[in-house]
Amino acid sequence: MFKKGWVNLLLVFLPLAAGVVAFILINLFSQSVPPFLVTSDFGILAFVFGMTIRNLGTVVLILGILVTALFLFFYNRSLRRHEQTQILIDDVKQEAEQGRRRFLRRLDHEIKNPLTGLRAALVNMQEVQSSVDRQRAVENANYAVERLTRLLTDLRKLSDLGERPIERTQVDVPDLLQDVVDAAHVLPPYRGREVNLLIPKVPSPFPMITGDRDLLVLAVYNLVENAFKFTCATDSVEIRVSEDGRAIVIEVADSGAGVPTEDLPKIFEELYRGSNTRSTDGSGLGLALVNRIIALHDGQIHVRSSQEDPRGTVFTIRLPAAKKGLVLLASN
Amino acid sequence: MSPDRSTLLLADDDPTIADSLAPFLERAGFHVLVVSDGVSALEKAQTHHPELIILDVLMPRMDGRETLRRLRKAKIWTPTILLTQVGEASERALALEEGADDYLNKPFDPHELLARIRAVLRRARPGERSLSAAWLLTANDLSIDRRARRATLAGETVELTPKALSVLEYLMTHSDEAVTRERLLEAVWGWEYPAGTRTVDTRMAELRRALDDDPAKPRFIETIPGEGYRFIASVHGEG
Repeated sequence: MFKKGWVNLLLVFLPLAAGVVAFILINLFSQSVPPFLVTSDFGILAFVFGMTIRNLGTVVLILGILVTALFLFFYNRSLRRHEQTQILIDDVKQEAEQGRRRFLRRLDHEIKNPLTGLRAALVNMQEVQSSVDRQRAVENANYAVERLTRLLTDLRKLSDLGERPIERTQVDVPDLLQDVVDAAHVLPPYRGREVNLLIPKVPSPFPMITGDRDLLVLAVYNLVENAFKFTCATDSVEIRVSEDGRAIVIEVADSGAGVPTEDLPKIFEELYRGSNTRSTDGSGLGLALVNRIIALHDGQIHVRSSQEDPRGTVFTIRLPAAKKGLVLLASN
Repeated sequence: MSPDRSTLLLADDDPTIADSLAPFLERAGFHVLVVSDGVSALEKAQTHHPELIILDVLMPRMDGRETLRRLRKAKIWTPTILLTQVGEASERALALEEGADDYLNKPFDPHELLARIRAVLRRARPGERSLSAAWLLTANDLSIDRRARRATLAGETVELTPKALSVLEYLMTHSDEAVTRERLLEAVWGWEYPAGTRTVDTRMAELRRALDDDPAKPRFIETIPGEGYRFIASVHGEG
């Protein structure tokens, strides 16, 4: 409603100024009002009319004051709102800047470790004599390069996800989950680990979702790989799927040691490593990728975890169903 | 330089890459010319007539894509591999559109580059325009208009998802070549995927359904057990 600066203030006080000018002019030039109009004999309306005409200057002045007061009220409210918005924008900017710095700090940490390993391995390659030691140095160098490559690949995935449109086709969820289980079975470090896949028989067929099948496989697979990383062979890993008519709910659950409570709010941040994950392999971008993929599908993801009995971690993904499910007929 | 060694032109402005790749490729039996920018690459390509050119995308003076465009404009059909940049999702599509015969995402294993070089050289028909530089690809009654991103079979438009179309495009531009699932993932998807082979197989099934191609008696796409796929129909390029 109001523009910036002094123009606004001028506009706010314009009615008052107009009222003052009108008051002076009217009092200078106004004719006297017939006296009968200011007696109450002709009724209350005639009295008010007469008084208004007689004191027109005063009435206009009062109106000017009232309108200016009203304008001042709106102007002040608008200023406060503007200030609040500015504070919010500053907060968001500050948060983004902090996030960027945090990301760079973490990236620095993720790069310097394999790089230090690589430099040490190169020195060993030059200095060691025995072929066994040399072979070990080559293996260490390769391992460091693999870690850096994985980090770079995951960074590229994250950046790609922000840039390219995702495919939107009908996706058969049970079939997708079966693919994840098949792929997880042959994951080299976890070969032979079982994933319990629970798919309901009703409704039949299971409702489809609309989305990019490859990306959704990647998301659920990352969660399963994550579950494997933080559990041992005697723990259970489960994928459960259900529907509630509007959304498809996929849960990846494990009976592992659980996530410390203080880590839970940050678990989806890029390159965040929880206090119990420092020694675990990974780029630190896996869950950030899952989060991004689910958001691109207009879905939500959350995690609950406990380190005490009943312990375990459950990631829950909600994705909108492509079509409405069973019709709700009754409810209390 | 022995006369039977193929000459490669390697253009990359990063000395650590060029200095390491050149001896590696020399050991593999090639004669390697190294330049560090696009303008020099263009000059060397015209004066030394290499059998194959490897171009980095980001280079001083003239970038790899512009160099490639100028080469093709000058009707120099030397097979070219483009080294694309990490993080640029559209780079792969652009590389193909601008007539690169193949492309590799950095960082890559030098052995993968060697495999690509050999495959491209095997496919190359000296002096002829390669299928990768053609806008319209035709095989029997199947054709792809690469500009319009549309495939037609016997004059009818084939309904394909963008990924399936890219798979078909890659197979047709690499016809008669055994293409592994891993290579397709790298080339079309751009990332490695979990369940990668299943991912490719799912698209291939979609493609075959759309093309009405029986895997037992294929007209277009043959499965090579344990390896990958091969586009078996003869492909012609135009435009």
